[in-house]
Amino acid sequence: MVSKKQRRINWILVAVLLVLSIFFLFPVIWMLANSFKPDAAITADMNSIAAFIPPALDGNFFDNYIEIITNTSFLRYMGNTLLYAAILIVLGIIVNGLAGYALAKIDFPFREQWLLIIMMLLIVPTETVITIHFLIIAKAGLLNTILGYILPSIVNPFNIFLFRQVFVSLPDDVYEAAQLDFCGPVKYFFTMVIPMSKTVVATVSVFTFLNVWNDYLWPALVFTSSDMLTAQIGLNSITSNENTTMGQTLAVITLVTIPVIIIYSLFSKQIVEGVTSTGSKEG
Amino acid sequence: MKKKNSILGMAFFGPALVLLTIFLFLPMALTFVFSFTDYFALNPELTHFVGLENYFNIFKDELFVQSFLNTVKFVVIIVPCQCIGALVLALAINKAAHCKKYFKVAFFVPVVMSLAVVSTLWMQIYSPEGILNTLLANFGIDAQPFIHSASQALPSIAVMSVWQGVGYQMIIFLGGLQNINPALYEAAEMDHASAWQQFKDITLPELKPLCVFVFITVTIGAFRMLVQPMVMTGGGPDHSTYTIVYDIYETGTVNWEMGLASTMAIVFTVFVVILTIIQNVLTKDKEEKKHGIKKAKAN
Amino acid sequence: MSFIEFKNVCKRYPGSDKDTVENLNLNIEEKEFIAFVGPSGCGKSTTLRMIAGFEEITGGELFIDGKKMNEVAPRDRGIAMVFQNYALYPHMTVEKNIGYGLKNMKMPADEIRKKVDWAIEMLGLEEYRYRKPKNLSGGQRQRVALGRAIVKNQKLFLMDEPLSNLDAKLRVSMRTEISKIHRELGATTIYVTHDQVEAMTMADRIVIMKEGVIQQVGKPMELYDHPVNQFVAGFIGSPQMNFFDVTVEDGTATFADGNSITLSEGTLKKLNGRRGEMILGIRGEDIKMDAQNMEINGENRLHAVITDTEVMGNENNLYFGFGGAQAVARVSKYEISQIGDRIDFVFMPSKMHFFDKETGVNYMEMQ
Repeated sequence: MVSKKQRRINWILVAVLLVLSIFFLFPVIWMLANSFKPDAAITADMNSIAAFIPPALDGNFFDNYIEIITNTSFLRYMGNTLLYAAILIVLGIIVNGLAGYALAKIDFPFREQWLLIIMMLLIVPTETVITIHFLIIAKAGLLNTILGYILPSIVNPFNIFLFRQVFVSLPDDVYEAAQLDFCGPVKYFFTMVIPMSKTVVATVSVFTFLNVWNDYLWPALVFTSSDMLTAQIGLNSITSNENTTMGQTLAVITLVTIPVIIIYSLFSKQIVEGVTSTGSKEG
Repeated sequence: MKKKNSILGMAFFGPALVLLTIFLFLPMALTFVFSFTDYFALNPELTHFVGLENYFNIFKDELFVQSFLNTVKFVVIIVPCQCIGALVLALAINKAAHCKKYFKVAFFVPVVMSLAVVSTLWMQIYSPEGILNTLLANFGIDAQPFIHSASQALPSIAVMSVWQGVGYQMIIFLGGLQNINPALYEAAEMDHASAWQQFKDITLPELKPLCVFVFITVTIGAFRMLVQPMVMTGGGPDHSTYTIVYDIYETGTVNWEMGLASTMAIVFTVFVVILTIIQNVLTKDKEEKKHGIKKAKAN
Repeated sequence: MSFIEFKNVCKRYPGSDKDTVENLNLNIEEKEFIAFVGPSGCGKSTTLRMIAGFEEITGGELFIDGKKMNEVAPRDRGIAMVFQNYALYPHMTVEKNIGYGLKNMKMPADEIRKKVDWAIEMLGLEEYRYRKPKNLSGGQRQRVALGRAIVKNQKLFLMDEPLSNLDAKLRVSMRTEISKIHRELGATTIYVTHDQVEAMTMADRIVIMKEGVIQQVGKPMELYDHPVNQFVAGFIGSPQMNFFDVTVEDGTATFADGNSITLSEGTLKKLNGRRGEMILGIRGEDIKMDAQNMEINGENRLHAVITDTEVMGNENNLYFGFGGAQAVARVSKYEISQIGDRIDFVFMPSKMHFFDKETGVNYMEMQ
């Protein structure tokens, strides 16, 4: 029952959005296409449509990537970051999940007050306490250690709150049934609550990964030894090197972006859910 | 049974509480205390209590005032562009009959890229012989200095920031649009409301709480601008892209003047908290009104 | 000593000024099937949850098998429970759901397997063995919940409105199934329901509760034929017992509309000289219209006009206004009447109950 006029408007709308999205993606396409070119080709192509098209697939196609992988520790930095992210995901789910469960289901003293405090902590801009984190970690002698990097990031008020909101609606009778099946509270949390809440666990995991992967300030402070660097800091030290070519720079930032794109394409549902939940919480 | 619950509750909440205490409560308390001292991290023994001196000094500090003004400039450019951009994109994509999924992904891609990546990429794009200047030359426009000039650096970074961030708020708006009861539009259709009237009388009022939320979060986000100038310009040229948080960060971790940095942090936090409270008041009010109407309808 | 003993058990929720369960005293014998019935909020579920240990006992003592249970954790009380909403573990298959408790008891895998096979076969769940709860119908889920309870060999089964989420037809067949399981396993079963039909058809004894207080405990027919008060009389039986305001004077009971009947020797003896305003109760099937009964009680013949009929198939319910109230008579399917028909009837003298107008106590059942 869509009128002809409406249908025409619809097509114009789609066309406009298509053009807009291509413009919008220009930087990303340019990054990808030119990460396979030597600098001379990048400059030569700049004034034509070739700027957005990868070069022919020949023996030199992956030169920039090979150069980065063989002559810098960049793969190691990426591996470091993956390791940090994995540890933080596991610890974060345990610590924040347990706290969220306590706030949702266990009647312990000052529960309501704790919940209120957690919600207020959501507001505090974390950049302002980062220097003090540095002082604490330095004082504890944990600079340049994995522990020093992950300790301040394990607990996350937003994740506690997210877990709590989901756990609150879990049915109580399942816990009662599990008790009669000789399942204690700790076992119940790990073998029942977590599997029953796969969506929120996935959402928190994905966001933890993205946070660790994209984090810039904190790793730049904690890590000075080049063995420990994360991908973002490694990226910065490689691209700020005089000898790094433009093509290699583009190859590095493409490499850093690949895992993020993979995660996004696998978990876009969880990401969109997580993003909209930040909106619906307030709105 | 009650005692058991107390023990169990604290056992479950305990790990988080310990970490919260060390890494949030303690730092917040220390920040507050330091803000009244001349704490110098490299020589903590010489610390004095200086009262409110820091609070007066930071407003006399030309660099802090400039970084504050720069931050406000960022906010003034970013907030309207990003909010309206996100809303328009969401409305258009919501109406689009085809390729919805593609549009959602396309405009969201920059969001998942890291600040460092995006900053590095745009440094190349903005470079004097870069792709942007080459394109401009085709239209007969002279090469622009972009991030290498004191007058263009800030808007250049702001534009990049909008490009990166707009997809996030777009997704929030899309979620809100999908939550609007379609029956409202059907009813409006029956009442012969035009497309513009439907937008003005249904879409906008329904999205209003979300608009406030997006407006405030984008504002807070813009106030927190730090990594982009850090990577792209180092705050320059001539401190033209130096921001409040950048100032706090450098004062604390480069100059080690923790007293001063703490004072800045307190001022900044108070600012952010006030913004959040404003948002809560505005949205709460809306919600109550909405519920009031719902109740009236039910009766 | 009985298997379960309640001694002055009380439950008061914090912040409330009234006991939800008040001074409960009750003995339950081993292997008995006991049903707790009553309207919602009567305290029957709270009582069950106190037996399970999910609700704290705030006063009195509870013994199971001779041991005081007040402070014992639910898992150590030797009970199995079936929940109203099934409470299945959503991420586990039928098989895993049933075997979960055994696994936690550290039973060897092959023994678990044997037990689970037995339960699955007994409940006819063979083809759903590897399904998850979300792919099962309500009845199948309830079977799994039953399976989970029976494999553990516990001596006490608790069932909290297990059939209330099923449709009417399924409820009837599950009733038989639960009775069968009880017969075969012989575990003491405590069954909570708001549906008196379930209680009547399944239970050895019924406990009727109202506002936290036990009204009557007894075998189903005892409660049906000899209710101790008007609440029990009205709660048990469908259609509900008919109640009329009457005034008893000089051996006759006079209805609000002036009709009166002469009371029998036996009734007068039980009334023991009590007179004045009271409530007469009589069940629909004890209102008779056949020639034989009319003959015997000729002088107490009453009349009314039928206002509505319900054809049930095996019998008919006839509604009529009488004595200032609405009444219903249950008659056999051969006694057909139409709306508007005038009927003659008598009340069976030995089946009449007389309740105190204030306290509701049944004079016919007082010693």
